[in-house]
Amino acid sequence: MKKLFILSIVSILFLSIMAGCTSTDTSSDSNSDTVELRFFHRWPTEPKKQYFENAVKEFEELHPNIKIKTEAVLNDSYKEKIRIVLGSNNPPDIYFSWSGEFALNFARAGQALDLTEYVNEDKEWSSQIIESQYKPFTLDGKIYGIPWSTDGKAFFYNKQIFNDLNLEVPTTWSELIAVSEKIKEAGIIPISFGSKAPWTISHYIGSLNELIVPEEVIAKDYNLNNPDGEFSHPGYVTALEKFIELQPYFNKGVNSVDHQFARELFNGGKAAIGYFQLAEIGLIEPSLKENLGVFNTPSIEGGEGNPNSITAAPEGIMISSKTKHPKEAMAFIKFLTSKEKGTEQLTEVSEYSAVKGTTTSENASALQQEAIDLIINADKTYLWFDTAVDITIVDAYLTGTQLMLDGKKTAEEVMADVQEAAKKLKEK
Amino acid sequence: MSIRKIVPYLYIAPCILIMGLFVYYPIVENFRFSFYEFSAFSPDKVFVGFENFLNLFQDEVFYIALKNNIWYAVISIIFQVFGGLILAAILEDPVTRFVSGFFRTIFFLPVVISITVIALLFSFVYNPNIGILNNFLSLLGLEEWARAWLGESETAIFAVIAVSQWQSIGYIMMLFIVSIQAIPRELYEAAEIDGAGKVRKFIYVTVPQVREMFFVATLLTLTGAFTVFNEPYILTGGGPGNASEVLGTLLYNSAFFKDQMGYASAIATIILILTLLVSLVQMKLFRTGKDG
Repeated sequence: MKKLFILSIVSILFLSIMAGCTSTDTSSDSNSDTVELRFFHRWPTEPKKQYFENAVKEFEELHPNIKIKTEAVLNDSYKEKIRIVLGSNNPPDIYFSWSGEFALNFARAGQALDLTEYVNEDKEWSSQIIESQYKPFTLDGKIYGIPWSTDGKAFFYNKQIFNDLNLEVPTTWSELIAVSEKIKEAGIIPISFGSKAPWTISHYIGSLNELIVPEEVIAKDYNLNNPDGEFSHPGYVTALEKFIELQPYFNKGVNSVDHQFARELFNGGKAAIGYFQLAEIGLIEPSLKENLGVFNTPSIEGGEGNPNSITAAPEGIMISSKTKHPKEAMAFIKFLTSKEKGTEQLTEVSEYSAVKGTTTSENASALQQEAIDLIINADKTYLWFDTAVDITIVDAYLTGTQLMLDGKKTAEEVMADVQEAAKKLKEK
Repeated sequence: MSIRKIVPYLYIAPCILIMGLFVYYPIVENFRFSFYEFSAFSPDKVFVGFENFLNLFQDEVFYIALKNNIWYAVISIIFQVFGGLILAAILEDPVTRFVSGFFRTIFFLPVVISITVIALLFSFVYNPNIGILNNFLSLLGLEEWARAWLGESETAIFAVIAVSQWQSIGYIMMLFIVSIQAIPRELYEAAEIDGAGKVRKFIYVTVPQVREMFFVATLLTLTGAFTVFNEPYILTGGGPGNASEVLGTLLYNSAFFKDQMGYASAIATIILILTLLVSLVQMKLFRTGKDG
């Protein structure tokens, strides 16, 4: 009998451990009056962390029956972690997503809730959002994400340095090189750049590709489902060559410098030009003040793309297809994308809201309004390169370009690797 | 069967079950996964047999990573195990005994600092624009030696390895100190009477007496060298290109960046086999547990 007694104790102990492992997903139902939602975003740093905490608090006051639990990890880690948690049995109800291929992947895998119905239901709210920004979240006519912010890429320059050296803002690539040469002669770093985290490379490549390679070729090559797209257009090699022309004008050791450091170089007036996101104006303007200027990516002589185009894409919020409370989750998204919140967003965290009429002279500097006009006035906008194409192609591009910056590979060799990756991918 | 025979097994049963669940079950599952192709969000796995392994053996990045791991192992053995032993012997010498407490703390301090903090610290040390290392070299008049340590293919992995040496040598040194303190004083006295100097005492008394610890230390450093992840991931992310990729970062990038879970499992299996082989060979060589 003693044996049986011990055995039962052991099994009880063991079962209690097992129970501890699996009880997490029932906790939200334990109290049927309050609904608990989990919100996963990519801003664990200030000021955005505080902004979202406040937004959650405000929302909870308006909706006492909803509790929101927030989790956040930064940028690159977010890209990795979100794939894992969405594949698990207990994904977050509401999650942040970049647009384009990144978001559509979730839709294809059935991890994203179709939001079309909600968008059509409440036109008063949904029509406030810039229509073109829904497109990168749309797959087969269904909307899977709500645009929260929009952002673009442009060259930033230090007006003080340009004035001191009597330089004009470059409008073509060869002018950019000529200007950089003069700045270098004056003993100032012409262009600040850091490619330790290689996504910074993808922004240059994305823009250069669009300026050099014809539109219809890009459409074919970037599309995963088009077997003809083999990245064989010679323009891709030219794009890489144009990029590497800038190398003598970058700060030292770009491969070991991260983006934040590059931004600080520019911020501190140590570098004259930088390639930044328009949202970063809010981070740079306080230190450079009226000396900060912005110009669109210069056009390329002989380029076959549209010169009046800009990398500009929304970031948005999506809902997990496994959520038990889609209505409540949607209410939270509507709250975040209201006109009121959109206006606050720019002042508090310097992200341009995707809601129309939120960037005004009241909450934005003249430069920020100028920046948003760059997006609005462009004939064509295109997605961030690292979210526009498949990740294996991005990877081939980025590791190859890092080596090119290190003098270990030529543009042709990098493109050969990219073509190889594209071929493997499209054969599947 | 009598109860007496069963009871001991019942005592260890919870431990075995938990170990099985959290240690051995994942290993077996990982082995199984390495024959499938799947991504983090696809619920269906496609059986592909040995394809993951075949692709892996044709992947040039795998060989770069393996080579880097071997460098890691070789340099770690030289600096941490041999260096640690020599440091320990010096600190335990009667001549230096009065300062040894101080230096023990100095050498051991990096061990208790989080590896993430250390990696971030060293990314500043190595920074090509403001880094202390390049500034130091130019102070010495060695400007031409200054370079972007983490940003150039030739130096990246060695810059990373150097950080690990700096951090871990204190730990291995501490293990040897404990082991040297357990050596009976009579052995040294006898050696002295026979006319042995400091070097001879080290070679003929200390080294044979710390043999067991030597085995433990090499095993720790070798398995550590093949499973290393944090330092290269934070310092270089495997770059530039794949120049400082190790098996750990290759696994991580395949799994969480490129979303090739089966391929990543295959890499994990290879790492497991490698570390098992290393420890088996060592157990044979050192015949641990038996007095030799």
